[in-house]
Amino acid sequence: MQNTATPAQSKGVIPKIGRWLRGERLTTLNLFVSFIIICIIFASQSEFFLTLENFANIGRTLGVVSIVSIGMTLVLITGGVDISVGSVAALSGVVASILWLNFGVPLFLATLLGLLACTVVGFLNGYMIAIVKINPLITTLASFSIVRGLAFVLSNGQTNQLNDEAFKFLGRGEIGGVPVSLILLIVLYIVFFVVMHFTHFGRNLYAIGGSADASRLAGIAVRRHLLIVYTLSAFLAGLGGIIIASQLASSAPRAATGLEFTVIAAVVLGGTSLSGGKGSLIGTLVGVFILRVLDNGLVQTRVSSFYQDVISGAVLLLAVGFDQIRLKLTSTFGGK
Amino acid sequence: MKLLRKFVLLTVLLGIVAMPLAPVTYAQAQDCPTAKDNYVIGFANLTEDIVFTQLVREGILAAAEEAGNVEIVLADNQLDGATALANADNFIAQGVDGVIEFQTDEAFGNVIMSRFRREGMPVIAIDIPMPGATFFGADNYLAGRLAGEALGEWVNANWDGEANAMLVLELPQSGPIPAARMQGMEEGFQETVNTPVADEMIFRLDSKNTQEESFQVVSDTLPTIPDAEKIVAITINDGTALGVIAAAEAAGRADQIMVVGQGADPSGQEAMVAENSRYLGATGYFPELYGFQIIPAMIDLLECNAVPPAIYVNHVFISQDNICELYSEEWPAFCTPS
Repeated sequence: MQNTATPAQSKGVIPKIGRWLRGERLTTLNLFVSFIIICIIFASQSEFFLTLENFANIGRTLGVVSIVSIGMTLVLITGGVDISVGSVAALSGVVASILWLNFGVPLFLATLLGLLACTVVGFLNGYMIAIVKINPLITTLASFSIVRGLAFVLSNGQTNQLNDEAFKFLGRGEIGGVPVSLILLIVLYIVFFVVMHFTHFGRNLYAIGGSADASRLAGIAVRRHLLIVYTLSAFLAGLGGIIIASQLASSAPRAATGLEFTVIAAVVLGGTSLSGGKGSLIGTLVGVFILRVLDNGLVQTRVSSFYQDVISGAVLLLAVGFDQIRLKLTSTFGGK
Repeated sequence: MKLLRKFVLLTVLLGIVAMPLAPVTYAQAQDCPTAKDNYVIGFANLTEDIVFTQLVREGILAAAEEAGNVEIVLADNQLDGATALANADNFIAQGVDGVIEFQTDEAFGNVIMSRFRREGMPVIAIDIPMPGATFFGADNYLAGRLAGEALGEWVNANWDGEANAMLVLELPQSGPIPAARMQGMEEGFQETVNTPVADEMIFRLDSKNTQEESFQVVSDTLPTIPDAEKIVAITINDGTALGVIAAAEAAGRADQIMVVGQGADPSGQEAMVAENSRYLGATGYFPELYGFQIIPAMIDLLECNAVPPAIYVNHVFISQDNICELYSEEWPAFCTPS
């Protein structure tokens, strides 16, 4: 029963409601309102929630998930998925620490080489998905396992300390009272927002997610785009891993375990469709904020960790569920 | 002649005295069918991915070599009950004399033990009890208590016997064993410190056994205690302890916190010996020495000698004060007098 509105009706009030309900902006607005409501609830429960110290803490601990979520948003928009991001994040820290501690490579260069290793993993993921045509879930599930195993082999299962003040500055430092990792994530979101909305590359990703075949027929180099997207996803996961290592002043092969689930939850919460072709970075950022603030508030209000998991899951389900209801209402009111 | 008569008499007397003992010795050999000159012992490790279990395996191999008459057959349970069961079947098929089991699944433990019992094989279970097996492992409550008492003594000596808040980095989803550690640490601290921390200032945080989660929950908690300048943290392991310290450093409050943990693995030791360390120390479990208690116990079981139902690790609280007595080669810069 979709698209039943006649041309005459489309000029009326009901279709206007439909168009308004349909917009992606509304998803983001809904999320933002949800975020504000969550903040109000926690502020009423904890006198420490709305303090500068707590905002600085939230800003400092947002970096990893939000940066990795950029890559995941791009991947999901193309209709794929990348569940290797947690393992890749662990790899960057492990490679950097091994090169620095065992081979005497300067830490800055070791960090770049760690990121390079992750980029190579991403390129291989992209190659298997775009060129060899293996399903993205299977490909990244395999690399999830291989890369994590590699991190264990390289580190011999050991946690390595990375006590270097310059290195720690990335994860813990502040510039003018603003955490460095927060500044980095703002810059990255601006850059990728421009890429997604003001370049052919970004628009092509939406087209590929809508229909890869149609995009190919329209002359879009689908394989090249997918190759780039998976490479970018792994690079950003690697960057997230470096931030983790910097915050903890150590690297561990077990680092970022389960990160992929948090990231996918944040991106889906932000309105990106798992079936591709739809999503926005602003939505993702709000999704990350909601999950982070939820964790922060639940700890501050001393809710049992078992209930915290239940509440986080329920919020994700409610947010996505409401969005689905909204989309159904869109069709009812004659939207496209 | 007199001498000969004395000798014969003595021999007869000795014979009379020894006669009742002869059947006992004979019977003992009959009652202990597992006693042999050389033994083949199966060892199924919990996993080969963790340093702790790698050290357990190395210690067992070293102890077997030292014993001289023990050959070890290795297997990896891969943290999985079904794999542990398959490994148990393999041990039975290979006809090993005894088994050392390090496996995590309680339900599979029952099944595994029923198979070994049917074969009459003695079993030593490491860290996770199995029904009918001799237990070897940590005395978790005592291990916790040692760390808690050390922290209490430090607070008495350095903070006038009072702390404003206590962070308890626990692992609630993992059941009674880590809970016993945490209980020991908390009670050890509260009973040692001059002024115990008030209940409302004890923050129980789920570390999820990771450094990152520990970092995050402590980062979230510190803003709720802005006035606390003397904060103690008791943690489930070294990784969690390092997460707490990282969070305090990131919040610029490292000088307000003192942390103890469990394990004393190399990363924990490195944090302990650091300059101005906020890691007071950790209780050592010495996985590399497990084998030197387990192999003699297994030989005793195979030779039908009495073995207690539970054998515990000799725990020691390791800090800057004694690390050089235990690990001087690992930390030469710290342990070598300048």
